Amino acid sequence: MSGVGIDAPGSTQLFIGNEAIARGALEAGIGLASAYPGTPSTEIMESLISVAKEKNFYAEWSINEKVALEVAAGASFAGIRAITSMKQNGVNVVFDFLANIVMSGIGAGLILVSCDDPSAISSSNEQDTRHIAKWLDIPLLEPGTFQEAKDMTKWAFDLAEELNSICMIRSVTRIAHARGNVTLGELPKKEQKAHFDSICPVVPTLPKFIPYPSAWLHSQLHAKLDKARELFESSPFNWYTGPEEAELLLITCGSCWLYSLEAVNALKLESKVGILKLGTIWPLPQKLIETHLGKSQKILMVEEIDPFLEGSIKELVADLPPDSPHPRFYGKHSGHINAYGELNPDMVIEAIAKIMGLAYQPRDPEYSKKAEEVPITYMPPRIMTFCPGCPHRAAFWAIKNALRLDGRDGFVTGDIGCYSMAIGPAGFFQERTMYCMGAGAGVANGLGKLGQFGFNQPVLAVCGDSTFFHATIPALINGIYNQSNFTLIILDNNATAMTGFQPHPGTGVTGMGETTRAVDMEALCHSLGVQVEVCDPFDLENTTATLLKALAQDGGPRVVIMRRECELVRARRDKKPLYKVHVDPDKCLGEACGCDRLCTRVFGCQGMVWDSESGKANIDETICTSCGVCADICPQGAIIREAV
Amino acid sequence: MDMKVKGSKELLTEVTDAGLCTLCGACAGGCPYLVSYKGRIVLLDSCTLSEGQCYQYCPRTYTDMDVISQRVFGTPYSGDELGTTKEVLMARSTDGHIKERAQYGGTVTTLLSLALEEGLIDGAILTKMSDDKTPSAFLARSREEMLKCAGSNYMACPVLQALNGIPKDSEQRLAVVAMPCQVLALSKMREEPPQNRVNIGNVKLVVGLFCTWALSPDGFHQFLKENLDLPQVTKFDIPPPPANIFEAYTPSGKISFPLDEIRKFVMPACACCLDMTSEFADISVGSVEGIEGWNTVIIRTDVGAQLIEMAKEKGKLEVDILPPENLAHLKEASLLKKKRALQEIITRSGDRNNLLYVGLQQSIIDRLLA
Repeated sequence: MSGVGIDAPGSTQLFIGNEAIARGALEAGIGLASAYPGTPSTEIMESLISVAKEKNFYAEWSINEKVALEVAAGASFAGIRAITSMKQNGVNVVFDFLANIVMSGIGAGLILVSCDDPSAISSSNEQDTRHIAKWLDIPLLEPGTFQEAKDMTKWAFDLAEELNSICMIRSVTRIAHARGNVTLGELPKKEQKAHFDSICPVVPTLPKFIPYPSAWLHSQLHAKLDKARELFESSPFNWYTGPEEAELLLITCGSCWLYSLEAVNALKLESKVGILKLGTIWPLPQKLIETHLGKSQKILMVEEIDPFLEGSIKELVADLPPDSPHPRFYGKHSGHINAYGELNPDMVIEAIAKIMGLAYQPRDPEYSKKAEEVPITYMPPRIMTFCPGCPHRAAFWAIKNALRLDGRDGFVTGDIGCYSMAIGPAGFFQERTMYCMGAGAGVANGLGKLGQFGFNQPVLAVCGDSTFFHATIPALINGIYNQSNFTLIILDNNATAMTGFQPHPGTGVTGMGETTRAVDMEALCHSLGVQVEVCDPFDLENTTATLLKALAQDGGPRVVIMRRECELVRARRDKKPLYKVHVDPDKCLGEACGCDRLCTRVFGCQGMVWDSESGKANIDETICTSCGVCADICPQGAIIREAV
Repeated sequence: MDMKVKGSKELLTEVTDAGLCTLCGACAGGCPYLVSYKGRIVLLDSCTLSEGQCYQYCPRTYTDMDVISQRVFGTPYSGDELGTTKEVLMARSTDGHIKERAQYGGTVTTLLSLALEEGLIDGAILTKMSDDKTPSAFLARSREEMLKCAGSNYMACPVLQALNGIPKDSEQRLAVVAMPCQVLALSKMREEPPQNRVNIGNVKLVVGLFCTWALSPDGFHQFLKENLDLPQVTKFDIPPPPANIFEAYTPSGKISFPLDEIRKFVMPACACCLDMTSEFADISVGSVEGIEGWNTVIIRTDVGAQLIEMAKEKGKLEVDILPPENLAHLKEASLLKKKRALQEIITRSGDRNNLLYVGLQQSIIDRLLA
């Protein structure tokens, strides 16, 4: 891991945004950090956890985001600064607790970092969490540079304590994962002492940490926001660059500030176009904004995903006196900026050029054409697929075969994880619903109760092992309680693989690398009175047979655990392949086989290639992990699997 | 008539979905895509080949009977009630052990056992009933294993899937005990031998069984399971008319079901079958109505004749002439099946000139429809 813990104040480090946030938390003197992994937020916790022992604080991967924030709140209540980080979906999981704790206030500084994923590059959905801060009256900051990511995080703790409110930081993928210079500050040296003081300063008979009396606390919360607004008016995280009177004013935040800067620079419009960069996103610094609104009659809002600033600033303008400036707004409502997906400098250039009537060609059309052709010509076509050796490929092969054999048009409901790729050819198009974590089992609960309407399609819900703990257990218990007819398949690869192999309650290791008591998922399921079968997905025949047995059953849910360690985890540890695998060219009949290239056309493991010269299948030794599963699908027995 | 070889997609639309699949197993197991499972042919993945052996060998894709007959007998298809025959007789085993377990006269088990003893074959692909009376194909390599397969349960079984699963380089010489549809599929395979994994040359002997219809292995097995303690059942039988019953033998006696209750489980494809006596087999074997403990035997090829001769010489089979009234009745029943099937085919196709899979000379068709 990076040098987030380096004790060299004044020195400059090259940090990704997530490391910068982690460093800010260290400089703020956190005593506890908690998180559930989720792209693009994961490296915040990975950075913190790597220095937790050395810096004498506690860090954990929690079972889910809600518990993570509750863990952090516990520390805050006892006077210990705490941070919790998550991806945008995690904020939904936290939402209920968040809506309560915002009422009560906190102990020591408590920060929630949400990393949004515009374009949903690694997410099931695209979602703008800034609304949640506004909705719940939570002060919100958004860094536009890597230095700011560090400085803002550190300051957020002071802010939280001054306001007595949890504060949020919103980051996006291009801050979280891009890299820039960060000048380090001091790391605190003082010893911390935790003590839980429950006396409410206002009503001594009441506990301090309850959201009650709610209406009164709600009014207090608004007062906190007023105070935050005052503080934000003079925040160094908001600034303006450009002429005093501008032809066009860009109002922006976060990574879009960099795009705006680049766009104005590319158009050489520095003397005509101003940029107001905001870092304190909620509540908005009203006076500061009003001051700058007068700088131009045209205002372009540049922000990613939703028109958050756009709407909020229009609200401000609506409240301005009649003689105030009422400029024309451009942005998502006008169609100049997309209200979905990531932005980039070209998009901002295009918007500015359109508003200002400029003819701008970002690059020579001939060059553009060539640039587009290069990847098509030189890059091999690739599909989104499982890694070679991934147990999920074998699992979905067995699932597909079992469902076809069963013949009642059964299907798989799923959620987000590596196995989401089963919506496509990687998993033979088996996953037919894919929503948030645990939703596969939840949705299956409903489908499994439709017998009275003539529904007899078998329902298989899949979840990963980490997802089982995160959000599937309540859905399973609900199915048992309400006797819903479905099979839950737990794809147990012994890691939170998609986000980088983080441990979870079933792995027997904590985030800080200590051995702990593994939660036994079979024993847990057994204790619920549900039938559990465990199989190895690499044993295709047995896995298919196990599924067919489960499919043939009626009544409440049954559980099939398909257990096989993530090949990347195994290979990293064992440093040797499972088998030696090769294609026997004498046995492979090529096109004459009649198998219609089952191995490369249907099974589709990237470790197998069709050698057009010999007209036969072959193993790509640079990619193949020698899991040996393909040896069991070749009808000719031409793929040879030998012990190492 | 369309004689073109097509792919699995067409097989499914023209045969399986059209209710013509007999579950013979000829299309299954020869490739990774088609398998049989619980009374259905299942396509596990889409195959893009425009021509497949699955379609080619299916006994319910277009079949020119003259071509097949030429291949097996060296003569065009006669259209006679019992097909091409050398001799029709009746026989029974002399082996008490076999007779005890056999459905009727024990002729099939006796012949297979003899062929094995004499080194004519290394094994036989048979139908074996599991403890709960689920039929499955089984490669029997010893007399004991053959004995375990004796007896019928009247359910269709994709026997040829097992043949397709035997490696090409296997040098095992095989006998196959097959239903008429399976015998036809085997004949199609012999006519145009498979190019990939199956070595049809290994099949040295085809013993065909008489068949009026077969029962769905899924639906009928379910029915049996609901009505019987299956592991206790020792034998199933359909006694000759006018009994009109299906019987299950159990230690506590015979349990009868009206045949009409059973008929609803008949494979829909069987109504379109013209062949009651496995007309392209080396030897065809069935029961003899009214004479318990004997088999009707039709010798059709030299291979069949030599084996029967050997069985007689070695005293393994007791052979007698089939009483003329039995022969007449057999011919009548066989002809009736042909006529009914042809009518059914025309009803299904809706066109007298579209006989689906049946490729017959017009004169034979006219005779059957007369």
